[in-house]
Amino acid sequence: MKKKIFRFPLLVVDSAFVLPIGCALALAWANLRPESYYRFSHALEFPVNEIGLAFLFAVMAKEVLEATLKGGDLHPWRRAALPFAAAAGGVIVPVIIYLAFLNGLAEPEPRLAGAWAVTCAIDVTLCYLIGGLIFGRHPAIPFLLLTAIASNAIGLSAIATLAPENMRSVALGLALVAVGMAVSVAMRRRHVSSFWPYIALGGGLSWYGMFLAGAHPALALVPIVPFMPHAKRDEGLFVDPSPKAKDALSRFERWWTVPIQAILFLFGLVNAGVPLHGIDTGMWAIPVATLIGRPIGVLLGAEAAIAAGLHRIPRVGWRELIVVGCTASIGLTMALYFSTASLAIGSLRVQSQTGALLTTWGALLAFGAAWLLGVGRWRVADRAAPASAHVP
Amino acid sequence: MPVVTLPVINRRRFVGWLTALCFCFAAWEVAAQDIRLPNAAESVKFGVIGDSGTGDKPQYEVAAQMLRYRAKFVFDRVIMLGDNIYGGQTPADINAKFTQPYKGLVDAGVTFYAALGNHDSVENRLVPGFHMGGERYYTHATGNVRFFVIDTDLLDPKQIEWLEAGLKAPTEDWKIAYFHHPLYSDGGTHGSDVALRVVLEPLFLKYGVTVVFAGHDHIYERITPQKGITHFVSGSAGQLRRGDLRRTAMTAAGFDQDCSFMLVEVVKNDLSFQAVSRTGLVVDAGTIHKP
Repeated sequence: MKKKIFRFPLLVVDSAFVLPIGCALALAWANLRPESYYRFSHALEFPVNEIGLAFLFAVMAKEVLEATLKGGDLHPWRRAALPFAAAAGGVIVPVIIYLAFLNGLAEPEPRLAGAWAVTCAIDVTLCYLIGGLIFGRHPAIPFLLLTAIASNAIGLSAIATLAPENMRSVALGLALVAVGMAVSVAMRRRHVSSFWPYIALGGGLSWYGMFLAGAHPALALVPIVPFMPHAKRDEGLFVDPSPKAKDALSRFERWWTVPIQAILFLFGLVNAGVPLHGIDTGMWAIPVATLIGRPIGVLLGAEAAIAAGLHRIPRVGWRELIVVGCTASIGLTMALYFSTASLAIGSLRVQSQTGALLTTWGALLAFGAAWLLGVGRWRVADRAAPASAHVP
Repeated sequence: MPVVTLPVINRRRFVGWLTALCFCFAAWEVAAQDIRLPNAAESVKFGVIGDSGTGDKPQYEVAAQMLRYRAKFVFDRVIMLGDNIYGGQTPADINAKFTQPYKGLVDAGVTFYAALGNHDSVENRLVPGFHMGGERYYTHATGNVRFFVIDTDLLDPKQIEWLEAGLKAPTEDWKIAYFHHPLYSDGGTHGSDVALRVVLEPLFLKYGVTVVFAGHDHIYERITPQKGITHFVSGSAGQLRRGDLRRTAMTAAGFDQDCSFMLVEVVKNDLSFQAVSRTGLVVDAGTIHKP
């Protein structure tokens, strides 16, 4: 039988190159010509973070939506329970470590505590890349991606709902989001097959509604995506859409794959420029919380759920869970976004952004853990049997 | 054998002698204070402290020196440049790191107006002694001077909007801004915060802010005027990073060998200043003329 080759989706491969290039350029620029860099980044911050990123979140929402369809990793819902439990553990433990670290510093940074949601951030595409390199084609990959998506969802919910401006604006904004959703439903009933009207009309209303409500409008397309015509079955998480697929969501993803790379490049360029000198010690809180807390939290969350009666995922034992947790400690893109979304311009944001960049060390941690524990490509042959013995 | 009778030292007499002794010592101390300010009768006088709230001996010594100087130079307010309370932020901490060190000044009628630093809890805006009116950013005025107190930890759009509206309005001659993170600094540990500078400096230039005070770097530094604005870093009223000043072309004056504070006086179009060390040494002094 011909062995299936693990192939990365275009989105993952491309973003794995463009984002780090954007980040590296930003770091160099911010440290060589800081005034011009900050003028540039402050000018582009809103359009890139709150308009451009909406399309990346829409693609992620599409993946989650399709995963709930027949054949998807979230179908039926019980299959999703374990990654959600792992995500809950992977959020709670880092948040505890984060807050303890900030208070335990010789000179505590109490005002950074408000940015705890940054520790929930997981860079889905980078995790996919690192996870794929470690595990290849393995059930740990969808588990890792679902854990990442769930963790991001928790963080985004926290950020979106924190400190609303005033209740009247919130009510008006939410009403506009609802109108956007209703317009999308109406278009779907009228068999509108192009994705543009959904984005322009439904998305536009939703974007303005979120803006009014004081929430982050980068999430504007998330409530619209479920109402766009989509495939009947899921082909898998982050699988490139078939060129033959005619549904609006698949066309949307095909059309936006390249622009999203440009957006990700700009995102790195606008958000990753931090000074490499003079940052306060609070910057260590995020990497310490995620690099230590995520593996422990994912392991505890998943094992607690299994002990409570959920089924263990085949070939995913405690070793694999630790490596998944280490991989999921990479926050980069999402952590940068969460930092800018939860903190205004100022020293706290710089500390948080620097911490977000430092979470890329999670890649080294994941490779190291996989090598030490004999997981994935370093799997010890004679351990194969006990590992699969967990399979119910 | 003659009987030697010792004079009877009753309690009242003892207290009297002690008071006289203290008075003589205080008079000598005051005489030692070197005032290089106009010390005019009708002027705005204030003190400046930054990064003060350690609760350690140097903070108490700086506070004591301020009190001694006040005997000659009667300032009625002190601006605090952030990191007013380090470490724990409990009422006991606030007592040990603010109330007790400055008790003499407060009892003498000095009012403190604080800006928040990165080591301050945001709840400290509610500390009555800080006179922040429960706000992270606010304004206060005396005579012909209006102060703008900015929260540079979180410079959100709402605050920028508030600042611009505030800078447009005042009728006072002098607009002075103060906050925690310096826009210009030669402190080796932190240095200039350029991200903040590109946001705040255009507003300061547009609306005529002429003097800016900041802390964060635990040194004293006066920067050569940048685009017409004089920036001071005064972040060593409790903390000190000895030898942390990296002098560059923009350093007009600096001191990093001991803790320090500043005294400032505004007389019409002139703002005079002097920086004083913990031991009472004047380490910098001068006058800024507003055209």
